[in-house]
Amino acid sequence: MKAILRNPPGPWTVIFTALTWVLVYLLTRRLLENGQLLQGWRIVVALAPMVPFTFFLAFMLAGIRSMDELQRRIQLEALAIAFPLAILLFMLLGLLELAIPLSPQDWSYRHTWSYLPLFYFIGLAIASRRYQ
Amino acid sequence: MKNHLRGLRAERGWSQADLAEKLDVSRQTVNAIETEKYDPSLPLAFKIAELFQMKIEEIFVPNHRQSPD
Repeated sequence: MKAILRNPPGPWTVIFTALTWVLVYLLTRRLLENGQLLQGWRIVVALAPMVPFTFFLAFMLAGIRSMDELQRRIQLEALAIAFPLAILLFMLLGLLELAIPLSPQDWSYRHTWSYLPLFYFIGLAIASRRYQ
Repeated sequence: MKNHLRGLRAERGWSQADLAEKLDVSRQTVNAIETEKYDPSLPLAFKIAELFQMKIEEIFVPNHRQSPD
């Protein structure tokens, strides 16, 4: 892992790792939703996306460390937009859960986590546009 | 902060990409500095001054101060 952090990857490596992580996630979901696995194996399978995600995180960190100062600022501003939006989402879902019955088929963690990368990309677009 | 980076670069016939390469930054960073949307850090400002063999204050001018030219 230290070697990854020392040698920054190209953007395609980060994208490829992210796609691998998403693919493993989708396969895991399919297995858990449709498969007839024993309870112990269900836990092992549920944790499987951690492996590609760890590589994705390391590549992402190495990529950010290799960026210049403006690019790092853009990343910071993107997260400064995405993080409060994530707080807002979970706060509102928590309150709505008290107000009305929310279907776990639509609003469980397995659905809502995907909003977080969306918030990051919204933040990234806003921050990048500022310095165009 | 105002700066004379675009003019200095043009005098030398460098593209933004050329300057970015010499400074080891992205072209977006050079463009943002030239368009005065981003003020570089002190180390980067020193690097720019060193590249153009000028003093920092000859390239970068605070908004409250009148540019010499």
